[in-house]
Amino acid sequence: MYHSLFNILSGRNTRQGLWGLPLLVALLISLWLTVETTQFATAENLFNLVAQAMPLIIAALGQLIVVLIGGLDLSVGSVISFTTAVLALDQPAIVLIPAVFLLAAFIGLINGLAITSFNVHPIIATLSTQYIVLGITRILRPVSGGSVPEIVIAAVSGSFLGIPYPVFWGIVVILVGWKLLYGSRYGLHLFAIGGGIASGAESAARNFGVSDRRNIILAYVVCSCFAAVAGVFLAGRIVSGDPNVGLLFELDTVTAVALGGTQLSGGIGSLHGTVIGALVMALLANGMNLANVSPFVQTAIKGGILLAVVGLQSRKKMGL
Amino acid sequence: MAAVLASPIARGLLRIPPSYFVFIVLLATLWIARPNMLNLNIMGIFIRQIVPLGILVLGQLVVMRVKSIDLSGGGIILLINYFISSGSFPGASMPFFVVLALATGLVIGLFNGFMIGNRRVSAVIVTLAVSIILVGLVQFLSSGNPPGDVPKLFNDLYNTKFLSVPTPVLFWILLTAAVSLLLSQTVFGRYVASVGENAEAAHFSGVPVQRTVILAHALAGLIAAIAALVQTGSIAVGSVRVGLDLPILAVAATILGGVVFGRGDGGVWGPFFGALCFALLFVVMTVLGIDEPGKLIAQGVIILGAAIFYGVRVRTP
Repeated sequence: MYHSLFNILSGRNTRQGLWGLPLLVALLISLWLTVETTQFATAENLFNLVAQAMPLIIAALGQLIVVLIGGLDLSVGSVISFTTAVLALDQPAIVLIPAVFLLAAFIGLINGLAITSFNVHPIIATLSTQYIVLGITRILRPVSGGSVPEIVIAAVSGSFLGIPYPVFWGIVVILVGWKLLYGSRYGLHLFAIGGGIASGAESAARNFGVSDRRNIILAYVVCSCFAAVAGVFLAGRIVSGDPNVGLLFELDTVTAVALGGTQLSGGIGSLHGTVIGALVMALLANGMNLANVSPFVQTAIKGGILLAVVGLQSRKKMGL
Repeated sequence: MAAVLASPIARGLLRIPPSYFVFIVLLATLWIARPNMLNLNIMGIFIRQIVPLGILVLGQLVVMRVKSIDLSGGGIILLINYFISSGSFPGASMPFFVVLALATGLVIGLFNGFMIGNRRVSAVIVTLAVSIILVGLVQFLSSGNPPGDVPKLFNDLYNTKFLSVPTPVLFWILLTAAVSLLLSQTVFGRYVASVGENAEAAHFSGVPVQRTVILAHALAGLIAAIAALVQTGSIAVGSVRVGLDLPILAVAATILGGVVFGRGDGGVWGPFFGALCFALLFVVMTVLGIDEPGKLIAQGVIILGAAIFYGVRVRTP
């Protein structure tokens, strides 16, 4: 018992990565906020916290899938902004909502194809699509405005049995992610491919009959679709399209994923760790807001956290 | 497709950096659309505008040849611009600012290099995070408002001409030549090439891989500081937004110039023309009435296109 607890806290000998420690950090921040402020431990603030954290949790789960295969998707933020801009196009919801997911899947497909078929480094491929998608978003909606379909707004702002809808969004997204990673053949393949890439044997999974090309393309498509879900959620929250809402979101997702103990070199990581990582980020933002920290300093602190958590990971490869 | 790519003529053509083709295409477009703009004076002004980018490209190409990347240039430019324009150093002379800028760039570059070379953190993450931290700090210190003015000498120097060529352009060409010599004639240059080609083989041949990567990043930081000085001279005021899009443009120009992570076929002059392409591209886009979103798309398409161009080439035996 002692041994397994130690393993969980240190992340040693597991495919899950180090996620016990961030959980401890999350609990400590919550405890500190409860003691320091009177507003924190109220049901209202906690539900608010869930709603604030939800876009990050959703997008970070998408990022996790890409990180598990040793990639990185820097187009997440742009896809989120793009989704809100498309949703604010003044068309019926029945057209817009499928369109948003098809477009996101298409962006993911371009990323995946560039990486697998055209041999482009994941960071370069997704950096390019980040700029292309951002440009298209700015053409669609130069400044924030427009209105999103009623159904999208209703889906995030209501409540059921006293529990606000965002909580249900979280449950559904986590269940879907859980099924994908731990309840399907695809999830097993992701860990297999990533483990091979992380240890330098890039064809390891292929040699065991796992198609790396198809699975890698699918990972980028799934990541973009998760980003689109986050975009739909955000569009409902801000009730309009905003070309800048997803700014720097890709780095927040990477921070959340790395904070949750997932190794950026691939193959090691967990869904619960990522959710905890995203919660730590949300708790910190909540705490800094309650403590009246300037938004500029908050951005700098987030950068520092990213640097620290990624700096503590060790990997073999140098460079990109 | 594969057969066409494998033919000697196609392989010879693929060896030439895309920037030369793009440069010719853009020049032709401009010549057709606005022939009267192609004179030395007007072009001189356009080229002078992208000198900060051109200088930043020199640092970028050094780190990209050791399979790394530096996206912290935006933060360095912003921080140095803040130092010079905020009045935090009242009565300071120009040499003081130059030394301060170079020291700042060197320290940040060394930090990047340490994190990437020693701690082996992903270069994109480190340099982006450093940039975010610096931008956040500068915006906090200036509380979101542009700081004050820049000493007049900076802008005066920027506006001088030598034999009817703007001095900044001349300075850029000289610096490019210096980096070219550094990479082709010195031991450090050889180390950079061998680390980029195969870091493991370089390590077992006695090349100090880690030190080379750290030095490359320190050099990139130093060059970013020089770019920051020129950029500050060009806008002549303090700003909280200046130069934020330069690092990504520098990556695009470098890839366009034939230097792609570890492969240095374009040398130093390929990326030089890559930067010139952006000078022409912005002119052509302005002439054709394409505004900022179109430029973002063009940047993305150029990076992706050039990267695919190389990805396909690496695949062919």
